[in-house]
Amino acid sequence: MAIEYKTLDVRPILLSGGEPFPAIMGAVDDLMPGQGLKLLAPFRPQPLFSVMERRGFDYELEEMGGGDFEVRFLPKQPQATVDASVNANAPDLWPEPSVDLDLSELDPPEPMVRLLAEAERLEPGEVIFAVLSREPLFLFPELTRRGHQWVGNFDTTGSFYRIMIRVGATEESSHGR
Amino acid sequence: MQGASISRWTMSYFAAALVFLLAGQALLAVGFGYPVKPVEAPETLVIVHLLAVGWLGLLFCGALLQFVPVLVSKPLHAPHLALHALVLLIGGLLLLCCGFIHLAGYVEGGLVLLPIGGLLLATGFTLIAVMIGGTVLQARPVALSARFVGLGLISLLATAGLGLAFALELSGLTDTGWLHALIPGGLSLHAYFGLIGWMSASAFGVSYRLMTMFLLSPEAERTTSRTALALLAAGIAAAAAILLSLALGRETSVAVHLPLGLAAAAALLFGYDVLTIYRTRKRKSLELNTIMSAGAVAALMLSVLLYLTLVLTGRLQDDIGTLVYLVGFGWLSLLGLGQLYKIVAFMTWLEYYGPVLGRRPVPRVQDLVNERRASGWFYLYAAMVAVAVAFLLAGIAFPVQVAALGQAIAAAGLMVELARTRHLCYVSTEPADSKVRRHPPLFLPNPVERS
Repeated sequence: MAIEYKTLDVRPILLSGGEPFPAIMGAVDDLMPGQGLKLLAPFRPQPLFSVMERRGFDYELEEMGGGDFEVRFLPKQPQATVDASVNANAPDLWPEPSVDLDLSELDPPEPMVRLLAEAERLEPGEVIFAVLSREPLFLFPELTRRGHQWVGNFDTTGSFYRIMIRVGATEESSHGR
Repeated sequence: MQGASISRWTMSYFAAALVFLLAGQALLAVGFGYPVKPVEAPETLVIVHLLAVGWLGLLFCGALLQFVPVLVSKPLHAPHLALHALVLLIGGLLLLCCGFIHLAGYVEGGLVLLPIGGLLLATGFTLIAVMIGGTVLQARPVALSARFVGLGLISLLATAGLGLAFALELSGLTDTGWLHALIPGGLSLHAYFGLIGWMSASAFGVSYRLMTMFLLSPEAERTTSRTALALLAAGIAAAAAILLSLALGRETSVAVHLPLGLAAAAALLFGYDVLTIYRTRKRKSLELNTIMSAGAVAALMLSVLLYLTLVLTGRLQDDIGTLVYLVGFGWLSLLGLGQLYKIVAFMTWLEYYGPVLGRRPVPRVQDLVNERRASGWFYLYAAMVAVAVAFLLAGIAFPVQVAALGQAIAAAGLMVELARTRHLCYVSTEPADSKVRRHPPLFLPNPVERS
């Protein structure tokens, strides 16, 4: 995914004899989740690297000529963990989603009701894609119980949960009633 | 990833907790202990433990068993221990209270019941710590809200261990010097670990997560929240240090002022965070549970104010009972009742309608409750707490008893409302599945174990 950068040029600050550190930290505090910081400096800002490391940023360094450096601080990617139901089988080979739902504005547990209703409506093998505002923890066991498969994870900003549900073939038999 | 399921015994924890609330309030109303008798009278200890262990302890344990898996997105560790812990806690509490009644001199002998009860309680709470702590540790790095819960568990074990030590000492079974030295100063630390370290810390952690969930506020790990955690942890460490120096026979003149001061600062930061969560919420209309939670946090802020006033006027020693009353009933109980009202409705909805969701129309969660009826009981409860605290400060016992009776009536009213929710009394639609029960069992697990 392309990272969007906010640019901060500290060369004028240093030129006028100022202290750039507060400006840098201020810029870091104002970054949006997932956003990076592009820093232009007249030297290699070595001490900054460990500070930014602790704040969760990796860096890329590029010499610009004239002794100036461009440093791109990019938020460390959270390990791309993907949750999956125990019965999830080869999600890479699932067909394209038949429906695409944005349920992020609904109050819980409304998203759960909607997704289960969609799963009832669709044919076995069809796939639902949905965006939610949080992990639907109470939905997971219900999906598995009904024989549906699912995979899901948070987006890189951590503010939306994306789930794909593959409608199961069997009904009632897994229900124990 | 299995997600979160209904915690099977949580409703039983809640039912037992409510019965103990009613019993404790009724004893307060008839003047069995405080404020008619002194704070340290055995009769008061009966009431305090019925309320602190029976009501708040079981309520918090039941709620944590259900919601810690939601906090950390992991299934509950060792869920089969839930019933064992419940039986140990109820049995231990009843024995402990019998021991206190013996201690009061109503019946000769029987002091051995104190350590037996204490041992059962400590064992039960250890099982709780294993379940909750095990769940939290599965999800490393541990989220901020879960770290509050972890801090609470450490304090819970400290509370139970200290309580067991007191029970041994009071029973006369042992004659150990360091136990002897513990009692005078240690009692306030026991209360500190229990009310602040265990319950308030857990309540902070769970509130951070549940309030953002219920109010649809942006979830963020704020610096203020992290500072609150650090202050609470420092307070608990300070309390532990004081405890150690008491056991070694050293005088500690600062007593509990340092831990209390740190906790008060943490409470202020928590109050500020809650205000932020309410201000940035996307859900504009407040539900009854979130209104009551706000009231509870207001009571916590008043507790801090009261604490500071008492310290400045030098009346902390005399009015400590009032402060504990406000923290116990205003902050913890009101928060607990408010959340209980929401949790019971949600769990009932999920338990009964979960299997048919999407297959047929089902009522909404809010159709399972009647907020208009419940709000009357909630406001009565809150008003009676305010009245009781005012008269405790004035030092007049009788109106406090009347207010406690009012609290008991309000609690009973809320119990009826919760039972009506469990019985789906407010739902007008067809039963979810005519082949199964008309409504979920009142407080026992559903006998039909779903695969």
